[in-house]
Amino acid sequence: MRIPVYSAFAALAVLGASGAAHAAADGGMPQLNFHDFAPQIVWLVIAFAVLYFVMSKAAIPAISGTLEKRQGKIQGDLDAAEKASEETRALVTAYEKRLSDAREQARRLQRERSEADSAAATARLAELGQRLGAKIDEAEKRIAGQRSQVLEGIEDMAHDIAADVYAKLAGQPADKAALGAKVALAKGGR
Amino acid sequence: MHSPMEQFEIKRLLDLRIGSLDASYTNSALWMTIAVVLATLLFVYGMRQRALVPGRLQAVAELGYEFVAGMVRDNVGNAGKKYFPFILTLFVFILFCNVLGLVPYSFTPTSHIIVTFSMAIVVFIGVTIIGFARHGLHFLEFFVPKGVPAWLLVILVPIEVISYFVRPFSLSIRLFANMLAGHTMLKVFGGFVVMLGILAGWAPLAFIVALTGLELIIAFLQAYVFTILTCLYLNDAIHMSH
Repeated sequence: MRIPVYSAFAALAVLGASGAAHAAADGGMPQLNFHDFAPQIVWLVIAFAVLYFVMSKAAIPAISGTLEKRQGKIQGDLDAAEKASEETRALVTAYEKRLSDAREQARRLQRERSEADSAAATARLAELGQRLGAKIDEAEKRIAGQRSQVLEGIEDMAHDIAADVYAKLAGQPADKAALGAKVALAKGGR
Repeated sequence: MHSPMEQFEIKRLLDLRIGSLDASYTNSALWMTIAVVLATLLFVYGMRQRALVPGRLQAVAELGYEFVAGMVRDNVGNAGKKYFPFILTLFVFILFCNVLGLVPYSFTPTSHIIVTFSMAIVVFIGVTIIGFARHGLHFLEFFVPKGVPAWLLVILVPIEVISYFVRPFSLSIRLFANMLAGHTMLKVFGGFVVMLGILAGWAPLAFIVALTGLELIIAFLQAYVFTILTCLYLNDAIHMSH
């Protein structure tokens, strides 16, 4: 308030100097003319009352309503943004959960599948083994049969060869029965 | 050369009487009317759209509202809400009267002690009534500072009482004297411009330009000071705080 106070002093000093001559003619300060007080008070009251009415009935409700509306709008927008962000977060969480579920399921399926595959393979292998085993047995049997046949054939051949050898050596056909006994003796003596 | 006081002359534009009461429509009343009309335009016409994103006029109206609302909230608190319309009206009325007074050939109603004193005495009486209504006779304790030795109270209580009753005078004279001084200075230096003529008149003219800027600040500042002191007095009455 320094400047206004100084300006007041300065003005009053100037007034004292320059206004002194006029003071007598003007009857002093117009502010101190008591006859002018009543109309000023009357119209001050009227003007102030009108402005008070305008302010309290129209301006203040309009402004406070607008400010509230704006505050509400801002708050609403913030809330909506917050909600949207939460929804997005929830969606992302759900998506991630589904993704991990799907991954888990895929892994499980893969594991199950490979287990099933290996079981089937083992079973097939066993079956194959059996079949092959059966074939091998059959083949062995056949081989054994053929061998005994061959061995019998060899005995006959031995008989024939012995008979031939005897016939060549003795110049006469051999007694089949005696030769057979001899061959059997030789075979047994081996 | 005219007297620098001539600008404060009350001129009766329309002679009116209510009984024995002189209710003439004067130049002061005219400028009060203009102030009220312009304030109404700003606050009602400016707010007509009630837009969420305010235009220029609406922004100014909201600014004024928020300015005074902040003043009341900070200085009086929630209890002051009831008196907000009065305080806003007070601020707007004084501000418009002060600023319009700077228009050349206009009249400044607030440059008259009777106008400022009428407002100050209404504030003073109103605040005193609020104090007694809220606290009853305990409001008298307002004049007795707490934690002071008894012998000192003999001195302090009269000081407190006097300072309380001086409030309407200091409140009204501060506003009136600032308006009076500013306008008188402008007029005196305006006279110097004419006196010194085209050769040397530039110096006081430059001074007037600067002074007009200063007066614009003072016009706002004094409206603010009057309003904030009203808030402080109201706070004293409501919360009885020193």
